[in-house]
Amino acid sequence: MGFFDEPYDFVAPPDDGRVEGIYKVTGKGKYSAEYKVDNICYAVMVGSTVAAGSIKSFNLSNAKQVAGVLDIITHQHKPVVPGLADEAKIASARFGLPVFHTDKIYFKGQPIALVIAETLEDATYAASLVEAQYDTESFAVDFDKAQAAVALTATGKERGTMDAWSNAPFKVEAEYNIKAEVHHPMEMHATIAEWTATDKLKLYDKNQGVNNVQRTFARLFAIPEKNIEVISEYVGGGFGSGLRIWPHALAAIMAAKQVNRPVKLMLTRPQMFYSVGYRPASWQKVQLGANAEGKLLGILHQSKNGTSKYENFNEGITRVTRLIYNFENLKTEAAVVALNLSTPTWMRGPGDCTGDFAVESAIDEISYQLKMDPVALRLKNIATEKNPETGLPWSTNFLNECIAKGAAMINWQDRKPLPMQDINGDWSTGYGMAVGMWNAGRGNASAAIEMKKDGSITVQTAMTDIGTGTGTSMQNIAHDVTGISKTKIKIELGNSNLPAAPSQGGSNGLSSISGAVVAVSNLLKQKLAEYAATENEVYKNAKPTDILLSDTGISFQTANNQFVSYTSIWDKSKLTVLEVEASSGPGAERQQYSFCSSAAHFCKLKVNRKTGKVKIEKMVAVADGGKIVSEKAAANQMSGAAVGGIGMALLEEMTTDERLGGLVGDDLAGYHFAVNADAPIIDVAFIGKPDPNINPTGSKGLGEVGIIGVAAAISNAIYNATGKRLRDLPITPDKVLGW
Amino acid sequence: MKQEHSRRFFLKTSSVLAAFAMIPRTAKAFYEEVKNFFVPNKEVLPLTVSINKKKYSIKADTRTTLLDLLREDLHLTGTKKGCDHGQCGACTVHVNGERVLSCLTLAAMVSGKEVTTIEGLANEDKLHPMQQAFIECDGFQCGYCTPGQIMSAVACVNEGHTGSVAEIKEFMSGNLCRCGAYNGIVQSIQKVAP
Repeated sequence: MGFFDEPYDFVAPPDDGRVEGIYKVTGKGKYSAEYKVDNICYAVMVGSTVAAGSIKSFNLSNAKQVAGVLDIITHQHKPVVPGLADEAKIASARFGLPVFHTDKIYFKGQPIALVIAETLEDATYAASLVEAQYDTESFAVDFDKAQAAVALTATGKERGTMDAWSNAPFKVEAEYNIKAEVHHPMEMHATIAEWTATDKLKLYDKNQGVNNVQRTFARLFAIPEKNIEVISEYVGGGFGSGLRIWPHALAAIMAAKQVNRPVKLMLTRPQMFYSVGYRPASWQKVQLGANAEGKLLGILHQSKNGTSKYENFNEGITRVTRLIYNFENLKTEAAVVALNLSTPTWMRGPGDCTGDFAVESAIDEISYQLKMDPVALRLKNIATEKNPETGLPWSTNFLNECIAKGAAMINWQDRKPLPMQDINGDWSTGYGMAVGMWNAGRGNASAAIEMKKDGSITVQTAMTDIGTGTGTSMQNIAHDVTGISKTKIKIELGNSNLPAAPSQGGSNGLSSISGAVVAVSNLLKQKLAEYAATENEVYKNAKPTDILLSDTGISFQTANNQFVSYTSIWDKSKLTVLEVEASSGPGAERQQYSFCSSAAHFCKLKVNRKTGKVKIEKMVAVADGGKIVSEKAAANQMSGAAVGGIGMALLEEMTTDERLGGLVGDDLAGYHFAVNADAPIIDVAFIGKPDPNINPTGSKGLGEVGIIGVAAAISNAIYNATGKRLRDLPITPDKVLGW
Repeated sequence: MKQEHSRRFFLKTSSVLAAFAMIPRTAKAFYEEVKNFFVPNKEVLPLTVSINKKKYSIKADTRTTLLDLLREDLHLTGTKKGCDHGQCGACTVHVNGERVLSCLTLAAMVSGKEVTTIEGLANEDKLHPMQQAFIECDGFQCGYCTPGQIMSAVACVNEGHTGSVAEIKEFMSGNLCRCGAYNGIVQSIQKVAP
């Protein structure tokens, strides 16, 4: 299965290369739409052409005439989905959009029909001929217009009082607006659905958690979870879009039921804007006060984010404000704004990424009032001892070290304390910095090891690897704990038949699975010791820490002469494959400590006075992610997240069409994220100190803190260069001009 | 019941429609009528093409792109679909030695030509140096844009656009990577560049 189907014995991957690297550079790795399934046919979704209303009727006669069309699913013609069989079931299904189970239109592009045909060309052409008539209603897609009328409510407990700092000598009060962003993993979401029996389902699906997919469809189709196999061995990126189960996956399964054949459904890139979530547009207001010594006295942080008309999605924008700094007086409020768009979802650094931009911009702004270096201002106010929200001591928090290291790496001393002091011709150079933090989590995860007589092992988990290097880290951890050579450690993952694991998101992936891999590696040692004890009594009651494994046998840490070979164990015990499985999860440490990952981001850029062009010259990211298990993959993730942050700061904008509803520029020519030339070579460093309490490896996640703070570092640098404080993202050249 | 109408019929109908265009309401009604029974038939075309030095004689739907021919008909799924609009570079292959976007190339257009995909880049039992460099420099994360990046990177070297980091970045900017693995991609190319 998977990585080792077609072994590349002829090439030795470098010792620190990824476990699946060779399959990715040769095109052998199979992403969800790439499995060869006999008798497969294709499905293409048709979207609503209006933004609000209801479907009156369909004209399917043209589409049905297309050669190769097998069937067309609509809300009037569909197979039974038990979990969505009536209004009450739809309400309790928690599936979001009840696709093909309603005549209501909530947004333009909402799937209203599904064409199933022999070939992709047939299905695509027929889909273009589907027509629908609607009763239309008025709609709202412009977040900026709609948000003003929505009232705020408190998020979390107020600390101290607003009155305590209303007369603070230094104050900032400002509003921040960020346009919606879209995840756009390079692999478009796709599902191959195959009913292998009337109650057995096989799915090749792009997602970030196979067990989540399994649970969802077991519920909707009223079949046991074990009857659904979800295969997601290679996932072409996610960034949060694979954490929910979306309508297209249900559509593929319904189609396979309808035509009683395996069906492949891959979204088009335009459909990726409507179908798998996005980071919602947001409005924020921050009031911040400080005294003359640079102590931050208090903050009021208000936020609103867009959601759909059929679900409430609250981003949690103010969460980060309650986390990083010692604000004795703090009040946070939020609201959601319902729009005729699809439901947004978590996108890399959800909530915190957005909230952090406002707070880190405001802190930079007040530093200029105070005439204080923004680095010094932060070092003075960061809550290094305990989590200001829970009062629990941090298990580890090395954010101050990240800042100091980052400042040295970018030569912060070269920054001019006042704006527009480093001008050369049309270009002005500026420096900016900001910090980010994320609650470091951990979930229950399981892993198994299969060992063969030749000493090779296969480590297995259901967890996906969306590009973060999960498999490589599992291999590294199994090697560290067992002592078996990496070349003899195979990895299998991303399949629901393997031991269950949480979804890969919120920087929880490695933190969760690492504990399970340590546990199962120790269990393997224990089991081998039990077998060895039948040959040599020294192994009786041996602990995993006493034992050393090699590629050929087991030995005692303190006495190498007690070596027992695997050959001898296997022969004596008549073993074929030795199998062990273990689970691991958080415990009482969660009541004793708070856990965080953090990062400091620095940026040096220049801005052109005539064109408004922002050219980033240097970016530095220094993270506290606990122990770094796979150095290259971790650095790659950090630099990649910084590239994502460049997009957020300067480029990315999902543009709504308030005249006709829906979006404009809904493809990769209209929606810009950073290309190679938009980013400099990003310099990355880690603090690297293990967190002794979070999990057995001491590693904390990095996925979120890589991007949280990047946008503010860039906009703060633009201010340093130009004296123009830009509070609306993306900072496109038109906004930069005029300084 | 499938309707049988040729393209010639469509052209004729179009000119009739043009004539009716002078009388808007009537023309619209007529157009609706015509449109409702006009659905062209699928056409297939015999095609001979060399892919990764292997000769294929096949029949392809005239609407099929080179990308879909590779992925759906020949199961050469190393070439990736990232946008289908020529906007992301994931589908980059070499046609007669030059980088080409297979999603913007109809299968019919490569008749008689030499196509090289990521599956054909390695020399039998040895990885292409660029593939090896991508592994060593960690020039990817999720790996989905990687075949396109590598095909472009090989072309970038052949074209002589590796003089500086800035030049590499410019000539690799047609290949998007949402994971942002640009550090490693540039390093891989530097490693292979002369």
